[in-house]
Amino acid sequence: MDFNTFKNTVIAKCAELGIADYELYYQAAESTSVSAFQHEINQFTGSTEGGVCFRCIVGGKMGYASTEELSEAAAAAIVARAADNASVLEAEEPVFLGEGGKTYAPVKDTGVTMPATDALIAKVLATQEQIYAANPAVIDGSSTQGIAERSEIAIYNSKGLDLHSETTLTGLVVAAVVTDGKEMANDYQIKLGKLEDIDTEALTKKAAETALGKLGGDVAPTGQYPVVFDPEAMSDLLATFSGIFSAENAQKGLSKLAGKEGTAIASEAVTLVDDPFHPQSPMPQSFDAEGTPAYTKNVIEKGQFKTLLHNLKTAAVAGVETTGNASKAGYASPVGIRPFTFYIAPGEITEEELLAKAGNGVYINSLGGLHAGANPVSGDFSLQSAGFMIENGKKTTAVKSFTVAGNFYDVLKNITAAASNLELPGMASYGSPSVLVEGLSIAGK
Amino acid sequence: MISREICQRVLRKAVSTGADYAEIFAENTVNHTINMIASKVDSINDTVIAGAAVRVYKGLRSVMATTVDTTESGLLACAEKAAEALGQGTAQIDIVLKERLFGDIHPVKVCPVSVENKEKVAILKEGYFAAREYDPCIAQVRGTLLDVDHNILIASTEGLYAQDRQIRTRMMIDAVAEKNGETQTGGCRPGRRMGLEMFETISPKATGEHAAKQAVTMVSAGYCPAGVMPVAIDNGFGGVIFHEACGHSLEASSVAYGRSQFAGKLGEKIANEKVTAIDDGTIPNAWGSINIDDEGTPAQKNVLIEKGVLKSYMIDKFNGRRMGMASTGNSRRQSYAYTPTSRMTNTYIAPGEDKNEDIIASIEYGLYAKEMGGGSVNPVTGEFNFSVNEGYIVRNGKICEPVRGASLVGKGSEIIQNIDMVGTQLDMGQGMCGSSSGSVPTNVGQPLIRVSQITVGGR
Repeated sequence: MDFNTFKNTVIAKCAELGIADYELYYQAAESTSVSAFQHEINQFTGSTEGGVCFRCIVGGKMGYASTEELSEAAAAAIVARAADNASVLEAEEPVFLGEGGKTYAPVKDTGVTMPATDALIAKVLATQEQIYAANPAVIDGSSTQGIAERSEIAIYNSKGLDLHSETTLTGLVVAAVVTDGKEMANDYQIKLGKLEDIDTEALTKKAAETALGKLGGDVAPTGQYPVVFDPEAMSDLLATFSGIFSAENAQKGLSKLAGKEGTAIASEAVTLVDDPFHPQSPMPQSFDAEGTPAYTKNVIEKGQFKTLLHNLKTAAVAGVETTGNASKAGYASPVGIRPFTFYIAPGEITEEELLAKAGNGVYINSLGGLHAGANPVSGDFSLQSAGFMIENGKKTTAVKSFTVAGNFYDVLKNITAAASNLELPGMASYGSPSVLVEGLSIAGK
Repeated sequence: MISREICQRVLRKAVSTGADYAEIFAENTVNHTINMIASKVDSINDTVIAGAAVRVYKGLRSVMATTVDTTESGLLACAEKAAEALGQGTAQIDIVLKERLFGDIHPVKVCPVSVENKEKVAILKEGYFAAREYDPCIAQVRGTLLDVDHNILIASTEGLYAQDRQIRTRMMIDAVAEKNGETQTGGCRPGRRMGLEMFETISPKATGEHAAKQAVTMVSAGYCPAGVMPVAIDNGFGGVIFHEACGHSLEASSVAYGRSQFAGKLGEKIANEKVTAIDDGTIPNAWGSINIDDEGTPAQKNVLIEKGVLKSYMIDKFNGRRMGMASTGNSRRQSYAYTPTSRMTNTYIAPGEDKNEDIIASIEYGLYAKEMGGGSVNPVTGEFNFSVNEGYIVRNGKICEPVRGASLVGKGSEIIQNIDMVGTQLDMGQGMCGSSSGSVPTNVGQPLIRVSQITVGGR
């Protein structure tokens, strides 16, 4: 049964049970992934997936139920399950179904289409040859993956919301494994975009060179240092702690930013932007998961905290307008909050000038163990790192197997400068230029 | 679910272009999660996952296609897609499926899907309020009761037609303590491959109290000093250190491709002779246990390292082909939408002979990691990172003040050489392990161990 037939079955079932306020959120995707190992394709995956999340307001509470099975029986079952789930809920916050906006900013067509399987295979095999050609130290564990996905979202509710969006993304993942005969090191690079536009030579070279940079290297000496995070490391750190900007966390006592709007929470060098339409985003969005029109906003402007990120519920609790940041982790997830493309705005100096400012310190270009070594509530982190020593304003010896420790709330205040080299790595969900942070603890030898 | 006759027709279609192996994996899973925050039942996630995957192999190539349409026509279309992607050729295989019953070594007394929300909420509240009311400085508590009813069917051209029903239950309580503007968290997350009778042996109240006590202890703790020092890691979730530092590098998904620090080292001494490590999917009712793996191979008890010598890897069928080795019953996937690969089940360091008091007494200055948080590893290099959720300084052989914010970093191949004392009391902790085939339930475990030296990150 297709989504429309399923939707009509659910509408009829709601009418029968007297459920007046309800919503269907449908997500479906068709994807292809191809991997090459050594000189041939070793894995191919073609998937079609999708599911429907139904939610309804019963007795002032919002009940949810989801299914991947689209049938008449499943339609009746999710309505009954959601209503039953609503009946045991106790949270007293108001619940809402979105009514949408009058207008939605148009989303620019990324021009990406689903590639033919043959074309994707050819691209992956050619890139795999380039990874071997990139450097003689590249060994046989290296691999290349091509991905393509067309996904659609539909939201339909009893308030008259009826939205639909479709996006297609394609990209390449290059994994380089290198050896110097004594030890191995590796690196992954992801690049999204039109397959024909991806500079695979630059991509494979970067993977090989980054992996090579991890070979050898000293353990950094223990102490307090100024630290320069490169764009990727700082983007990772921002992603890990982005939950502190969620109004939901603030209202539940899980973020220290509650009530801090209008005050300085960061140094003047920090401007933090949330942009649903960033040109590098593979999935620009004109509406959020509640159907609210999406828009670009500064969350921090020159150190001043402008706003938490809101959905309809948290906005009502706080007595403000939603910022259009309702989101669902998957189609079946409850509505939460997250940014779109979230990045620290670039500064005006080059990275070289930033290093000169640092004087003597540590340059970090790789952070590991982010899901374990960082506490998103307290802001504390202690993370496995790799990078270079900075001596007299220049990158010198490679260092690895050390940790950098600090607190993210303090990092925001101690960013003394941001360089101009903004990057949005990977899925372009988070981004940053290189930044200089005063006084972090390095634990090594 | 899907009849033998339909499976036969779908498999015939799957091998029609010359595959030498084909398999159907079909699934119907109910995931049910009740969440509490701010002392109220806040949300319920209630999801049915239903779909199927068809995989075909030809030599060292594998193709997988997935579908949410599990009717015969949907499955045939999925098989055709897989066959087409494999290339051109003709069928070489006769397919006769015989039903096989592996039995169930994990009895379930109270099936969660048959229990009303109200009853589950009452169990969750017992754990939740035990944490909430533990101490005045507990500022927030999050509580979750989750149950999973995972029904799988596997049919393959080797003649296999088997089904399994995997039921799991877990309670997760996370407490936040606040004092003088500082916040710290504590958690307790027990789970079993059982129904709700799990709470006859695991007390919800003790679960909540454990989480709260940890948060309260840590909020008064100072920061852990940084440096290289000996560390005693306690039993239970402390086993995450073996899981991350070595376990992932012993999975065929790394070893088969030469992307592991332990590739090509079978029979060699890779660890301290005090270390015997085991992966055992057959422990009755344990969180990481299975009857059959996701390729239909029965679960096994595999000795990975015996007295320091590497004895076995954890292998799935597809990577086993490249290695020329048989499956060890370790093929796992989060759902039909993920390509299965070799994964851990219940992985632990076996008990040794050192007394706990001797281990602590042997440390002049170091860290006692009472409870570990999560961790991660790069299997290629073996470099790992763990957080210590509850740690104490050890001075002159005595456990002293608590310290927060500690992490342990190092290299797997080095740390297993440095495990030089192993206690006698094995205990396990539960986790969800994330990797290329998704998130799967795994147990980690060990007795109290001593690592003679490791880099402790702190400040």
